[in-house]
Amino acid sequence: MKNILIRLAKRIVAGIVMVLVVASFTFFLVRMMPGNPVSAKYNELIMRGMTPVQAMDAVRVMYGFIPHQPLWQQYLHYIGQILHLNLGRSISYEGVPVLHIILNAAPWTIILVTTGLIASFIVGVLAGVIAAVKRSSPVGSAITLSGSIMHGIPQFVMGLFLAYVFTTIWALLPFGAPYNAALTPGFNGPFIMSLIRHAILPVATYALSSYGGWLLTMKSSVISVLGDDFILASEVRGIKASTRLRYIAHNAILPLFTIFALSIGFMFGGSLFIEDIFDYPGLGNLLLHAIDSRDYPLMSGAFLLITVAVIVANIVADFLYSVVDPRIRR
Amino acid sequence: MSANSLPTAPPAAGITIRGLEVVYTTGQGQIPAVNGINLDIVGGQITGIIGESGSGKSTLAMAMMNAVPHPGKIVKGSVIIDGVGNMMTLDKESQRRARGRHVGFVFQAAQNSLNPLTRIGHQVLDLGRSHNVKDLRALLRRAKELLERMGMDADRVLTSYQHELSGGMRQRVGIMFALVLDAQIVILDEPTTALDMLSQASVLEIVRSIQEERGLTIILITHDMGVVADLADRVIVMYGGELAEEGKTEDVLAHPQHPYTRGLIRAIPRISGNLDQAVALAGSPPDLQTFVQNACLFYDRCPERMAQCQNHRPPYEIAGPGRKVACFKVMAK
Repeated sequence: MKNILIRLAKRIVAGIVMVLVVASFTFFLVRMMPGNPVSAKYNELIMRGMTPVQAMDAVRVMYGFIPHQPLWQQYLHYIGQILHLNLGRSISYEGVPVLHIILNAAPWTIILVTTGLIASFIVGVLAGVIAAVKRSSPVGSAITLSGSIMHGIPQFVMGLFLAYVFTTIWALLPFGAPYNAALTPGFNGPFIMSLIRHAILPVATYALSSYGGWLLTMKSSVISVLGDDFILASEVRGIKASTRLRYIAHNAILPLFTIFALSIGFMFGGSLFIEDIFDYPGLGNLLLHAIDSRDYPLMSGAFLLITVAVIVANIVADFLYSVVDPRIRR
Repeated sequence: MSANSLPTAPPAAGITIRGLEVVYTTGQGQIPAVNGINLDIVGGQITGIIGESGSGKSTLAMAMMNAVPHPGKIVKGSVIIDGVGNMMTLDKESQRRARGRHVGFVFQAAQNSLNPLTRIGHQVLDLGRSHNVKDLRALLRRAKELLERMGMDADRVLTSYQHELSGGMRQRVGIMFALVLDAQIVILDEPTTALDMLSQASVLEIVRSIQEERGLTIILITHDMGVVADLADRVIVMYGGELAEEGKTEDVLAHPQHPYTRGLIRAIPRISGNLDQAVALAGSPPDLQTFVQNACLFYDRCPERMAQCQNHRPPYEIAGPGRKVACFKVMAK
């Protein structure tokens, strides 16, 4: 137990260092952008008639640092602000704190991706087991083929295809926007129904395009476990089929476990294409908007969030892996 | 013994094998790994099956349980286990119940015969549940008894994972799994191949003492003449998927008749004495070409071949009390 805590502590320290490295990188990236957004904004404000002092104050509030200080001082200031969870203010949403914008967008992405991820993981893994066990029969081949096709179709093609089929050919589901704007947001039946109906297509797009990956990975993992000596041994010992299936599934799912945990981390990058196609106000759309409008504080805030999420997911995956696999435990 | 809660198969069950054929489909064609074998395994004895790598002895062992792994396939023949029936025609569920309960199997790769993610004690319980053992506590006691008997700290082993045990310990755990349900027939497929000399000796000693105590029927598959000489009551020599010779161990070792058996015995180096006295068997094991031709399988390597041997396969015939040989030369005498 003590060893585990020490390991965890080491991991967390390493994670914090990594976050700071990435934060520094994005800081210098913003500073080195051609056109220098900071002084451009400063000049723009002066042109609008502000005094230099006013302009400098405005820019400091907006970017979280003072443009006429030496670079290293600006950097220290920036890092200090990050440690206080202050990510500066957005340029395009004039003056709104970046953290506020990100926290507003995050739930949309989290709900969308988590639902799609879990659905595709469950279906993909089960299908992968069947595809592996029945790999020499037509059923198995058909399942594998379905996985390869789904895996091969790009997310935006899948999204447009579903949108075309279910909103144009059969107008079963609404298109665009996260809910019907005519309804009052809140905890009421019609609004929640509208939320769900609007979420079906984006979630389905995400689930369908990640299903193939889970299926193919699980299939190859199961096939390699099926070749293990202990599976033959359990057959020769007359172990029940259900117990053997449990042995196989448990051993085969381990490699997928890590991928799953990392996918949860990467989901904070948003699913750009899906959110764009279905006009979903999640992190992906936010990032697109930030890039479109050169909103550098928002961009570096979003990048920082992705970094933190991936690193945390990594630590969690590593830690949980040692729980599910006794061979990793020390 | 505290086995009264576990019903046992009738003592001294034997196995009757008739016309058994197992084929492996490979890129080059079909290789007959077991080619029409007729064999009676006598109950209550230790039968050694000996042969070089690729002679089909492990395949024969798996075929006795109707559990030949892919790409092997049993094409015909029957394996009748006393108290169970014909393994080839029984329904799947009865076959499964016979495995483990009536016939215990210790694996060639017993090093890796356990689920790496589950504690050994839990796997014993999985085994018990698979065979509808009512009193699982008694089963665990039985497992402990066996492990202690084999000189291990039973509590530690049962709460361990496979990777926490040494090779010799895993092998003994494998033997425990084969014995814990009181199987009357135990097949040991090269049980000592991966072990050092000391572990080998102790594993063999355990096998011998448990066999004597319970009157088990043991089939010991090995390529080690020393192991056979040490343990087996009867010995069966396999060559190229067919039987070459069988008989009481003393008879076969003292008076080997088939040229292949003689070659095998001559090839054993003595610990005391000159290494040059050990003569390696000339030639190479049978390949696809050998199986296609009509000649005796051993023809290419046989120092005593005759004209007849080139055109016919010698039948496997009685050559004395309890003795069978497949060789024209021996029969001609």
